[in-house]
Amino acid sequence: MRLFKFFVSFAMTLALVYFLDNRWVIGKAPLPPLGKLLDPFHGFWQNIEPRGYKPPAELQIPGLQDKVTLVFDSLAVPHIFASNDADLYLAQGYITAMHRLWQMEIQTHAAAGRVAEIAGPAGLENDRYMRRLGMAYGAQHALESMMKNDTTRMMIEKYAEGINAYIQSLHYGDLAFEYKLLDYRPEPWTPLKSALLLKNMAYSLCMRDKDMEMTNALRLFGPEVVDLLYPDQEGVGEPIVDQPGSWKFAGVLSDSVPMALPPELIQVKKKPGADPTTGSNNWAVHGSKTATGTPMLCNDPHLNLSLPSLWYVVQLHGPGANCMGASLPGTPGIIIGFTDSVAWGVTNAQRDLIDWFRITYKDSSRRQYRLDERWADTRPVVETIAVRGEDAVSDTVYYTHWGPITYDHTFRSNNNHVDYAFRWIAHDPSLELLTFYKLNRARSFDDYKEALNTYQAPAQNFVFASVQGDVAMRIQGKFPARRKNEGRFVLDGSIRTNGWQAFIPVEQNITYRNPPRGFVSSANQYPVDNTYPYYITASSWEAYRNRRINSVLGQDTSLTVADMMALQTDNYNLKAAESLPAWLKQLDSARLSPAEMTAFDILKAWNYTNTADAEGAAYYEAWWDSLYPGLIWDELLKGDTLLDVPSTYTTLRLMREKPDLAFFDIQRTPQKETVADIVRLAFSKSVQTVEQWKKDHAGSTKVPWGAYKDSRINHLLRLEPLSAAVNAGGNHDIVNAFSKTHGPSWRMVVSLEKTGVKAWGLYPGGQSGNPGSPHYADMIDPWVNGKYPALHFLQTAGQAADRFSSIVLTPSEE
Amino acid sequence: MKFLLQLIVIFVLAYVLELFFPWYVIVVAAFFAGYVVRSGANFLAGFLAIASLWALKAWMIDSQASTDLSTRVARIFTLQDNTLLFVMTAVVGGLVGGFAALSGALLKPAKKKWYEKR
Repeated sequence: MRLFKFFVSFAMTLALVYFLDNRWVIGKAPLPPLGKLLDPFHGFWQNIEPRGYKPPAELQIPGLQDKVTLVFDSLAVPHIFASNDADLYLAQGYITAMHRLWQMEIQTHAAAGRVAEIAGPAGLENDRYMRRLGMAYGAQHALESMMKNDTTRMMIEKYAEGINAYIQSLHYGDLAFEYKLLDYRPEPWTPLKSALLLKNMAYSLCMRDKDMEMTNALRLFGPEVVDLLYPDQEGVGEPIVDQPGSWKFAGVLSDSVPMALPPELIQVKKKPGADPTTGSNNWAVHGSKTATGTPMLCNDPHLNLSLPSLWYVVQLHGPGANCMGASLPGTPGIIIGFTDSVAWGVTNAQRDLIDWFRITYKDSSRRQYRLDERWADTRPVVETIAVRGEDAVSDTVYYTHWGPITYDHTFRSNNNHVDYAFRWIAHDPSLELLTFYKLNRARSFDDYKEALNTYQAPAQNFVFASVQGDVAMRIQGKFPARRKNEGRFVLDGSIRTNGWQAFIPVEQNITYRNPPRGFVSSANQYPVDNTYPYYITASSWEAYRNRRINSVLGQDTSLTVADMMALQTDNYNLKAAESLPAWLKQLDSARLSPAEMTAFDILKAWNYTNTADAEGAAYYEAWWDSLYPGLIWDELLKGDTLLDVPSTYTTLRLMREKPDLAFFDIQRTPQKETVADIVRLAFSKSVQTVEQWKKDHAGSTKVPWGAYKDSRINHLLRLEPLSAAVNAGGNHDIVNAFSKTHGPSWRMVVSLEKTGVKAWGLYPGGQSGNPGSPHYADMIDPWVNGKYPALHFLQTAGQAADRFSSIVLTPSEE
Repeated sequence: MKFLLQLIVIFVLAYVLELFFPWYVIVVAAFFAGYVVRSGANFLAGFLAIASLWALKAWMIDSQASTDLSTRVARIFTLQDNTLLFVMTAVVGGLVGGFAALSGALLKPAKKKWYEKR
């Protein structure tokens, strides 16, 4: 009897341990391994950093050739001092992993379509999408070219070695919080993962097109309406580079592509690409316009904001290199930053680098398709996607001459046997890392020029300034020499010459050096004056930020660093200034309710500035949101036929210039509406929305913009307790482009003075990816308030102040 | 008296073993003390020893914490505040400790009482 009791009790013990040591899915909710996770000796409690925590003073790292000194400043920015390049990148890999390993790994998993492996079936749809876009296919090509070049191979291999040295040092207790919560362990890092991260960046910036939407629009409405709704150029503001008549070369290739409209409407449930409101600002001001008489350079890339942050600040000091700035965790080098002689920054070039080719199959087997005079074979690739807790899923993706077939009968498409192959610049072999290696060592304009030559994708507007006094802009990428209208619509994939026949030679890319106006700037607007000999198209161009930036920079002289910070955080709403007066006029004859009357008065008194406390901004944005796109473009958004809506700028221009446009009629109502009607209707709806918001917020009598916008910087797992709610001004189309979820992901101001380069910078997050670290989100408040910390650009490791801590990395015996 | 001794043995042994081994090593500590120092309330001794060890350790970490991660984790578990997370930590450890100590005690052949001796 006693023995029986023992067995029962012991079995109970073992069962309990087993239950508490493993992750379970109950219903659909995951339950982490409670014993492992809650054990205060190894579990999540160990991720809580004690007050005054300092990293160990010395670490032994396998693979190092020499001693490396790491100095951390008060924001936990590492300053790496190495005696050779190999050690420099190994140490960068090690230290970045120490702060950000989980993030680096999950982002590469996402890019490779491997999230279901960790998250279970919920990740499957997106995994299939990533694989069908050929993300790993592009990364593999990039890796091959990086491995062929001695410099980039050294960078990427040493960086991986550093990450792996860190991974090998980990015990369960040291793992990042997210590994413990989701119950898995990091796998060894490979150079392919760095390539995947670069492709992930290309996906965030350069994965937006509207070829299918435009094709449908052309079939439904005809060319005139297409040009009215979706013009190639909006003719607003100055292009990034404006020097008519200076392009002293003839463009290569200029014959036309035959239009080949498909006989059917394209009915694909296209996954959203890059967010159209992502964008960026950069500018460099010549010494003739600054208080110091020397150039200043500023950059703020706008991206989906997340915790841990996309960027990681680091200083790299080695033989022939001293540079600092924002790095991308998972790739070696610095992406946006400065050396002791130059500074550079990037904004997205927008250009259309995606095409869709209509495939004519021989038969339903999808084995062969028409290519010129013959039937070419498709190349089926079976993607096996591991799914946590379930059987693996196989998905066959057919590759063609053009690229992978992303959408087909098994994936988000209704069209039977009419598939489109996906051609994307990021599928091509490329050598971006070499550009950053060289930029990180640049000393002059010539070095910058040379460094950019190998940069391909995602295409960027590279701003530049130097202590020698140069300011410059170059729109760099690998651009197909497009023929008129090429890339606006889908193309016939049965004709080889419909593909990209040639690329614009790098020396013919758009560049600007020391223009007479005394500054260069870009904010994702149209790139160049109309004398540039190539056809240019994109899914959208920016229309507001660029004009605001240029008008501020154009007026002022004696600009200071404080002026630059003020401009980066500028909340002036040019869109509102251009649209609101006309809208308010439409209300003059309308009968308003008391709540509407209040809104009207607030709007009338508003100064078009989206500060956090501005009620006018809240009413204006609510008004715009109830107008666009749903109310105005209702006919374009319903149904299965894929269509895009016109841009914000074009919409407002049409409202102004063509108030009777048939599209302004609301289809579901019997009467015929004009602009005046929908503006009034949207106003009433938006006031109701605001009144409801007030009720939901403890009967608030006011509606401050920051609270109404309710911005969030989400944790990558979208766990609310690990995310940050932020009450701040700004919005898309405003220089301070902080919308609900997107915004300036890194703000940098560099003053290139003769006595030395000075810089300030921060991002909405913190250096540590650990939610238990005081550096997890410590830069959010100063970021919101525009209080830029100085970037301590050290010349020697010994220069560090007392409050800095340091680690010495020494080669280990093994 | 024996109960208190047993509780202390489990507490100390589990503490030392946890410095070197994964969390479930608490089973070894509690089982051993259940067997060697059998008391009148083995489950309770195991439960209280591990629960107090884990709660104390967690409390020590949290009292020196530079951040509110424990509160955030409590919210991930949809708990009101981190007090309940301490309770949860203590109960999870305690249950394992309790069953392990009970098992150890049950494995030991019962000592016959004097009046049962022949």
